[in-house]
Amino acid sequence: MRRLLALVAAAALLVPGCARSASAHDRALTVFAASSLTAAFTQIGKDFEAADPGVMVTFNFGPSDGLAASIQSEGTADVFASASGTWMDAVARSPGVSDRADFARNRLVIITPPNDPAKVTSIEDLANPGVKLVLAAAGVPVGDYAREALKSAGVLTPALANVVSNEEDDASVVAKIASGEADAGIVYASDVTEAVAPTVRAVQIPDAQNVIATYPIAVVSGGPQPDLARAFVAFVTGSEGRATLAKFGFLPPS
Amino acid sequence: MAVPRRTPLPVAVLAAIGAAFVALPLMALVVRAPWSTAGHELSSSGAWTALRLSIVVSACAAGLAVTFGLPLAWVLARSELPGRAVLRALVLLPLVLPPVVGGIGLLAALGRNGIAGRLLSAVGIQLPFTAAGAVVATTFVSMPLAVLAAEAGLRSLDVRLEHAAAAMGASRWYVFRRVTLPMLRPQLGAGLVLVWARALGEFGATITFAGNLAGRTQTLPLAVYQTRVTDPGGAVLISLLLVALSLIVLVALRERLFTR
Repeated sequence: MRRLLALVAAAALLVPGCARSASAHDRALTVFAASSLTAAFTQIGKDFEAADPGVMVTFNFGPSDGLAASIQSEGTADVFASASGTWMDAVARSPGVSDRADFARNRLVIITPPNDPAKVTSIEDLANPGVKLVLAAAGVPVGDYAREALKSAGVLTPALANVVSNEEDDASVVAKIASGEADAGIVYASDVTEAVAPTVRAVQIPDAQNVIATYPIAVVSGGPQPDLARAFVAFVTGSEGRATLAKFGFLPPS
Repeated sequence: MAVPRRTPLPVAVLAAIGAAFVALPLMALVVRAPWSTAGHELSSSGAWTALRLSIVVSACAAGLAVTFGLPLAWVLARSELPGRAVLRALVLLPLVLPPVVGGIGLLAALGRNGIAGRLLSAVGIQLPFTAAGAVVATTFVSMPLAVLAAEAGLRSLDVRLEHAAAAMGASRWYVFRRVTLPMLRPQLGAGLVLVWARALGEFGATITFAGNLAGRTQTLPLAVYQTRVTDPGGAVLISLLLVALSLIVLVALRERLFTR
């Protein structure tokens, strides 16, 4: 019986022991952010940590739709930064948000491999027969925006017939183009970062057909670090945050 | 034969926790599924298309894995090839690698600009974004299981029977076909079951290498992943479909092939 107790006790200790090693910090802030924000927010997170030693910012980057769903089911996020108002609205309904503000905008851009195998010079060209087009899946903000742009260019149906893959997020679309597997994709202008720029060729979409994404950020109700969350939101929407976002290709909020 | 004994209490308790750990999430899926609208949900979420594709892809992958896995196992178990230990580690590596790593490797090797993929595209063969690409990714991930099973079988086999057949004048091919292969059947069957079950669940290598397009590369796991946000109920139903299919494969093939 003693041995049994020891075994069960060991198993019971194992679980929290393993869990604790993952989050050792006292003041750890958890930020769920759209994957298009990966580069910019990583930098902003470092600046935020530098401003207040003892704070650790942990990011969970992913598609906004997926992040919203996991915030609703798990509720472990302090801050949510979404690539669309729709998914922020969803989180605002449950579990609720505060300090909501639009903090950036983003244009769409077409990207192709540098050698441009399908000769894409405009959004209409994406409807040409045989173009291997990669989009983010419908429901993912950048996927929905891309479909909107194709629709306003009048080529939605033939372009969708060219789609060879519906990717999980913008980063996956960039990867498929940078590796040269597909001929063209539609992503955010901010996705063409300094690191990505040499591996893709960007084709601008005129304003009349472009879709400008607006990014809201907010403190998620019920998060473990509400004060730190408010400070982070203020940091992102403040002058330092804006400057960093501009550096990474985002437009200021309107 | 082991004498049946009373299960020691600690073993029983820990085993019960272990079983509950596996059973609970599966039960939760059953509880959460929107049963009243199940038929409609499944057809509107494209589950049937994904199911058809999953069955074809996993069957092809299992076939390929055994086709190449059995000879590999033979080399590992029977040949005098130097560096067999290294070869074995290499062949088994996909078992422990994150599948997404396999997908990136396959892109670098067989993609349009891959080191071997260039040759393929020169003759008009493209694997990424095709069902064939999904088969390749799935085979890559599941073949180690075929090798493991077949090698274990070959090693446990009584070689005297093969020697006897050969001594009686049977050709090598005849011995392999009529003596070795029948004796290997339980292990090959077990391997096939594992390979197939693994192939059914393959996600990471497939989405990385073959992409995600309904009807072409969107297998059941990819369909679950894509619908989980836009249609959570549908995702639960597709998950259950996958659970049911895996269970059928594991149970049915086990009856057929493990036991002789």
